[in-house]
Amino acid sequence: MEHGTIEREIHVDASPEVVFEVVSSAEHIKEWWSDDAACDPVPGGTGELVFGNRQTGTVAAFTVVDVDPPRLFSFRWCYETGEVPVAGNSLLVTFELVASGPGTTVRVSESGWRELGWEVAVLEDAYQDHSQGWGHFVPLLEGYVARLVAAS
Amino acid sequence: MSTAVDDDLWSAIGDPTRRRMLDLILADGGSTATTLSGRLPVTRQAVAKHLVVLSRVGLVQVTPAGRERRYQVDQTQLARAAAQLADVGSAWDGRLRRIKTIAEAIQRTHEPNSTDNQVKE
Repeated sequence: MEHGTIEREIHVDASPEVVFEVVSSAEHIKEWWSDDAACDPVPGGTGELVFGNRQTGTVAAFTVVDVDPPRLFSFRWCYETGEVPVAGNSLLVTFELVASGPGTTVRVSESGWRELGWEVAVLEDAYQDHSQGWGHFVPLLEGYVARLVAAS
Repeated sequence: MSTAVDDDLWSAIGDPTRRRMLDLILADGGSTATTLSGRLPVTRQAVAKHLVVLSRVGLVQVTPAGRERRYQVDQTQLARAAAQLADVGSAWDGRLRRIKTIAEAIQRTHEPNSTDNQVKE
């Protein structure tokens, strides 16, 4: 495994074709990620994630890397304006969709953290909205840390 | 805070098997490689390698226990790792949950009769 990769997986009761459309089209990206979005889902195509509004908010650019409907969609983001995103100056987000019964297993990975450094983790925090979910590990830790605090 | 330590900590905790191992060690209040391998779909040898990684970044502490070594989670280092991991990982959990909701709603509109399984004669 590449160092500094986040991997997540979820089962969706929808076909890979439907899920592919949701993960790759601007119309849906602005529903599940940013407040507004643009996306040209072809290799080398560019996109934008707008957090807040265009004037006062943050606009993050991304560049599509691989598109293989309905199986694969990947892009790079978190690079400096004007730079060509490559390994080492950006994060690579990859969606892999695998048909599973009548539904789809969706795997997302975000890699490049090790190369990019920790500063971006702090920036990312600002992008999060208020309806986040939590994995298995983190709530377990939270309870654990709360008990430690209570016991000390 | 050294960046090198952070990178190692990140890569140690970025692996799903190692996260499951930490969960199990926490739940049991300490464990051994043999016990862990019995509860995970990986060999004892693989578990031992993962434990070396976790130990190197200080996420687990080792004490000898007879012929085996007993591993316990280091509380301070774990809390630190959790804070770093939570920021990014929880963001993706939230995004995936929303992707699921949207895709399933679209799928239902594609199958207006999916709840009507009666066979017409």
